[in-house]
Amino acid sequence: MLRTVNRLVVGLVGLILVVVGGSVLAVGLGAPPPSWWIYDGRHDVLLSRADRYRWRDEGWWWPVVIAVLAVCVLLALWWLVAQLRRHRLSEVLVDTGDGEGALLRGRALEGVLVSEAESLDGVERAGAVLTGRRSTPRVRAGLVLQPHAEPGAALQQFSEEALGHARDSAGLAALPAEVRLRAVKHRAERVS
Amino acid sequence: MSEPTRPLPVVEREQGGPGQFDQSGSAATYKGLPTVEGAGRTGRFWSARRIPAALVAIVILGGSGILLYDIAAVRAGHSAMQWRRALARELADRPLDDVWVLTGAGVAAALGLWLIVLAATPGLRAVLPMRRTHPDVRAGLHRDAAAMVLRDRAMEVSGVQSVRVRMKRSKAEVRAVSHFRQLDDVRADLDRVIGETVKGLGLTATPGLSVRVARPGKKG
Repeated sequence: MLRTVNRLVVGLVGLILVVVGGSVLAVGLGAPPPSWWIYDGRHDVLLSRADRYRWRDEGWWWPVVIAVLAVCVLLALWWLVAQLRRHRLSEVLVDTGDGEGALLRGRALEGVLVSEAESLDGVERAGAVLTGRRSTPRVRAGLVLQPHAEPGAALQQFSEEALGHARDSAGLAALPAEVRLRAVKHRAERVS
Repeated sequence: MSEPTRPLPVVEREQGGPGQFDQSGSAATYKGLPTVEGAGRTGRFWSARRIPAALVAIVILGGSGILLYDIAAVRAGHSAMQWRRALARELADRPLDDVWVLTGAGVAAALGLWLIVLAATPGLRAVLPMRRTHPDVRAGLHRDAAAMVLRDRAMEVSGVQSVRVRMKRSKAEVRAVSHFRQLDDVRADLDRVIGETVKGLGLTATPGLSVRVARPGKKG
């Protein structure tokens, strides 16, 4: 959701900049503009006084300008805050099977995932964050591999053991996960 | 323009047993860990583009906020700020072929192109997507980690004194220095060991290899 909005808005702003900047550049360098375009030659100006005073005497002009700017400010503020905030699931709904439900604290499940991942062969450190909805949680995990660990095997173990156990113990049908693997920085050492 | 969503592969979630792995047409050449079918093209990780979005948001917020403040102040009877009067004068006086207008337009167009590129490309070039061994798990291996694994394995080949590995997006470059044994033997061993290791990384696209072995440089 947020990533879609980010890419759409960033692309839209980029498109506006390219169209405006490119057209000013083209007209300014002498390309003949089409008759309907806002600039009619290289001696035109960016924003003439006549353009600026055009609607100034209309009663609706300033309220509309102020409203549009206010909407811009609010949307930009919301968008900025959305970048800084990380969505994190606080609790997971556990279906107990008897028509009741139980709530599992998200931090608890994250902690279990991390400690189980760190106990695996070849994993030095791990991190996990739950996202998604509380009935269909998702996991974002990061593993830091020990020297001489095999990434494919470590991932396989993590998927089957840590993720599998977390999924089964919370009674979830599925626990989709996104895992990033890194390695501990270490010097090359000669094995003799 | 922008490609907002990454294509989510449709993964069959039947409990079909091993039969579902038997379809032909998988691009994977390596038969080690079972790969979930339909995940042959899991594709890249798509960045959320938080930093560019935050910067664009700050610029929009700052620009429209200051303008709003000044317009409201003028409506309330104060006089406009100096910069706004100067800006209006410049905008009305400078023709389009003025060098500053052209420079500004060029910068704006370049910035716009950059933003479009950011919006349309996946980013996260340092994360190599891994094969799906489990239908629910998407994994990526950091390039540095892949290079380090290859380096560690290469150091185990006898005759290798030191080794440098550069991991590119689709190619691993191994530069080894060998202080004993025939260079050809060392190279053959390295080829074999690195080839196996690269497959063991479990990446969706097995990177190509370039292995070079040299003698240590003479001192003095």
